[in-house]
Amino acid sequence: MCASEKPDARRLASYIPPTIGPWLSEADQSFDAETVFDYIDGAGEVYRSYNMRLLIARRFHKDGRPDIVVDAFDMGASADAFGVFTHDLDGEDAGIGQGSTYKAGLLSFWKDRYFLSVYAEEETAETRAAVLDLGRRIAEAIPGRGEPPALLKLLPVDGLEARTNRFFHTASVLNYHYFVADANILLLGPETDAVLAAYGGKEDRSHLLIVSYGDGAAAGRAAESFRRVYMPDAGGKPAVRTENGRWTAARAAGRYCAVVFDAISAETAVARLEAVERSIASARGSSP
Amino acid sequence: MSRKPITRRDFLKVAAAAPLAGAMIPALHGAAPAGADKVRVVLVRDPSPLGTGGAPPAEVVQKMLDDGVRALLGETDVVKAWKSLIRPDDVVGIKTNAWRYIPTTAEVEQAIKRRVMDAGVGEDRIAIDDRGVLRNPVFQKATALVNARPMRSHHWSGVGSLIKNYIMFTPQPSAWHGDTCADLAAIWDLPAVKGKTRLNVLVMFTPLFHGVGPHHYAKEYTWEYKGLIISRDPVAADATGLRILQAKRKEHFGDDRPLQMTPHHIPLADTRHHLGVSDPGRIELIKLGWSEGILI
Repeated sequence: MCASEKPDARRLASYIPPTIGPWLSEADQSFDAETVFDYIDGAGEVYRSYNMRLLIARRFHKDGRPDIVVDAFDMGASADAFGVFTHDLDGEDAGIGQGSTYKAGLLSFWKDRYFLSVYAEEETAETRAAVLDLGRRIAEAIPGRGEPPALLKLLPVDGLEARTNRFFHTASVLNYHYFVADANILLLGPETDAVLAAYGGKEDRSHLLIVSYGDGAAAGRAAESFRRVYMPDAGGKPAVRTENGRWTAARAAGRYCAVVFDAISAETAVARLEAVERSIASARGSSP
Repeated sequence: MSRKPITRRDFLKVAAAAPLAGAMIPALHGAAPAGADKVRVVLVRDPSPLGTGGAPPAEVVQKMLDDGVRALLGETDVVKAWKSLIRPDDVVGIKTNAWRYIPTTAEVEQAIKRRVMDAGVGEDRIAIDDRGVLRNPVFQKATALVNARPMRSHHWSGVGSLIKNYIMFTPQPSAWHGDTCADLAAIWDLPAVKGKTRLNVLVMFTPLFHGVGPHHYAKEYTWEYKGLIISRDPVAADATGLRILQAKRKEHFGDDRPLQMTPHHIPLADTRHHLGVSDPGRIELIKLGWSEGILI
């Protein structure tokens, strides 16, 4: 599905069944990126940061049972549908759509350019079954499939804990997952794409951040900004030892900036950055 | 950048003295000046069962509020205490919070209203409202406000707080979302609210300590704390409520897991906007009533 296609409320609503077991649907509510706050207050900022186009909200009601709420987001592009899905990965894989989690009455999944939340206001055995059934039916109704962000392909595979990969655009979301600074020192914004990945196990857990900028000059400015604020004591060396005894390193490569946090050694940090550079070169070489 | 940013490394420096989850407050934003007066906050709890609306019985809530206000003001007579807060010629807005899942509760609203009337204010000069405050004729003429809302984790501001409760006094609440709501305290300088707040009541009957999904609510992440936090200082009340939430998260998750969004609007309300006190070292916390599971 084309990212520039205008969101179609009727089509999105058609993916949601009118009933689920004994639950009957109420009238749909429709929101865009400006009116989403009327529905979910400040939480709307998360979906706006992923370029949401449209939200169809449908409540299912049955007297004597908890309500079930479906929130169907048209994110405009599958990369952003994937990204907003990675905002909260807590839960068990429900095997629905192209990626899903279920926990505490909430099913979240993404498929094509859509992100879906199916939520029971109280979890019971009955609402759990209904939520999962509803999710499966919605996923089956969505005809297309979408690609995850291409930026994920730059992540070195060795040691990667892929199930916790995050995709986003803004500094606020970066800080949500891994607090870096209370200012935007990596110059993130709506035009940047970023992935945050975890490596290693409990004892040697480190994180890798790769940000894609408009061009090499922007990436260079971001790397310089980060080193100036976060690594002022690096003394020109590629890595700095931080207050927890771990190592941080940062490097710009083309239009990308990569940062390793909490590596167990300077050599490990630098090696991971070099692996990212090889991924970038390989991706460039395989581009048409 | 006009000031040096605070980075993760700054938190790591103070981590030995305070866990990451709570380290943001005084350690990074400057220590309290020596000899600074303490601000009083009262935490009152009652073990009575909660009703279907999430509140204790009305008479229990009234007693909790009365005990808390008496302790806050050092006054044995509750009506006399309220008369020191509210004048008979005041026009009083009770700013409540109507969030579907955890509202302020009618029991708290009515308990406050009763005492405002006992202080001599006619019922026609009292209003209770949330989202309609800018259109409400009583609020438009209000000379006094009582701020009452539940504390809960929040998807963007970190926590829904007393400070945040006044966002409905702005024509465009989303305009205050920048930097995850860092400057909510500036709302308190707006003409509609500036200088009018006589009392803050942070409802802790069933706080939410973790959120999931677009609606940021799961009953699994609430618990029956059955408390009210009462103070003249909204920042001190919020900072106290935040400590309870963080303690509950540690108890539940088994580690010192920070809130999903850092509620930095609370310490910034102190250090940047000077609205009140966020440093626990400068808060005189009086605890009344039920002590089991108090967490702080």
